[in-house]
Amino acid sequence: MLRATYIRGPIIFRSLFVLPSLRFPPLRNMSHRPLQTLLNANEEWAQTVVKDTPDFFARSATCQNPKILWIGCSDSRVPESIITASKPGDIFVHRNVANQFHLHDDSALSVLSFAVKEVGVEHVVLVGHTNCGGAMACIEAAKVAATNPSASNPLTRWLSPLTALVRSLDLSACSANEALNKVVKANIIKQVDNICKSEPITTAWADPHAKKVTVHGWMYDLAEGRIKELVVRDSQA
Amino acid sequence: MMSHEPIQTLLNANEEWAQKVIKDTPDFFTQSATGQSPKILWFGCSDSRVPESVITASKPGDIFVHRNIANQFHLNDDSALSVLTYAVKVVGVEHVVLVGHTNCGGAAACLKAAEDAAADTGAPQPDTPLTRWLSPLIALVKSLDLSACSASEALDKVVQTNVITQVDNICNSEPITTVWADPNAKKVTVHGWVYDLARGHIDELVFREAQA
Repeated sequence: MLRATYIRGPIIFRSLFVLPSLRFPPLRNMSHRPLQTLLNANEEWAQTVVKDTPDFFARSATCQNPKILWIGCSDSRVPESIITASKPGDIFVHRNVANQFHLHDDSALSVLSFAVKEVGVEHVVLVGHTNCGGAMACIEAAKVAATNPSASNPLTRWLSPLTALVRSLDLSACSANEALNKVVKANIIKQVDNICKSEPITTAWADPHAKKVTVHGWMYDLAEGRIKELVVRDSQA
Repeated sequence: MMSHEPIQTLLNANEEWAQKVIKDTPDFFTQSATGQSPKILWFGCSDSRVPESVITASKPGDIFVHRNIANQFHLNDDSALSVLTYAVKVVGVEHVVLVGHTNCGGAAACLKAAEDAAADTGAPQPDTPLTRWLSPLIALVKSLDLSACSASEALDKVVQTNVITQVDNICNSEPITTVWADPNAKKVTVHGWVYDLARGHIDELVFREAQA
């Protein structure tokens, strides 16, 4: 049953994933096949868009005006635009290992800054997901004694705040599955807290003339394909 | 709540998409939840017009993704380095694609910053996360000879040079140098692409692999 809100654009954007897979002739350099498949699929997609909406790309090239910034995990199973049936131009995106927002991380801070101040997004969604490999790694890491983060590799350093968060939780009565879900949820809430403490958000919220920005914490359930909203934060008006 | 309309639209669309997938492929999600094995890592720009999975007609599970302002790979950035490390050593990707795009706002901002500095308009660059983030790209712009270029040619030249520089950075990183030095490791190739917004088309600029 299609409701008015679902008619958001050319059908190709909404249902591309459920179309039968495109078949391409085999190529000699077998090791580059996944890439050649990607490039062929891009070519075919571009042609379909042009046929369906001839001025889509020309208009898109002039500017972007997304209302949403998505901060999510790099996990291949959580491509924000596919799971929300969104079109190019809808969502400004930052994805990293375990959907972190560290207050000292210029990568995430520059994205948030640009998105809020230049692009003018109205919603920031921080999206975690079930079966997160980063969260699993932190649960394991928390079982051993803490090491000096600055002495280790980038991945260990990157995950050290989440490992510290795991250590602060009482997971003793949890099964492995329950523990992972508890960590994924606590992580989402913690990253939302960090976002709300950041300069771009505190500034926007302190300014009565600034555009309204809301921060949301979401969990994507891989086994169901569904997003659940955990928390929402607004400026205290 | 009118201001939450884009959010409700997104959530409704997710619900409808999930239902369609289950109808079409009933075990897709349960299978997906058991693990991921993408062959490709995509480093791209946060720009809303370059959603990697839509423009390549990919499915969940196909591409491991890191997107930031102006598709940077800084050798001192734990965010990008941790993604590359995880993707190569844990997930086992075979291709790393660094994707820039035309009409990049980050690249345009760096062009302007370099022009302002050259014109010596007086005001120093404020020290903010965004200016710090873009300072290597500003330095790159300053190193280019754009004197004979129109504004749009200059932007294209910056976008392309940026892609090549970031590919160089990736090739100099520990995860890649390690895997290329190990004859028993899985083969990993690094590619530099530019997505042309006006055509919806990806063009390959460069690719690098281990010197056998």
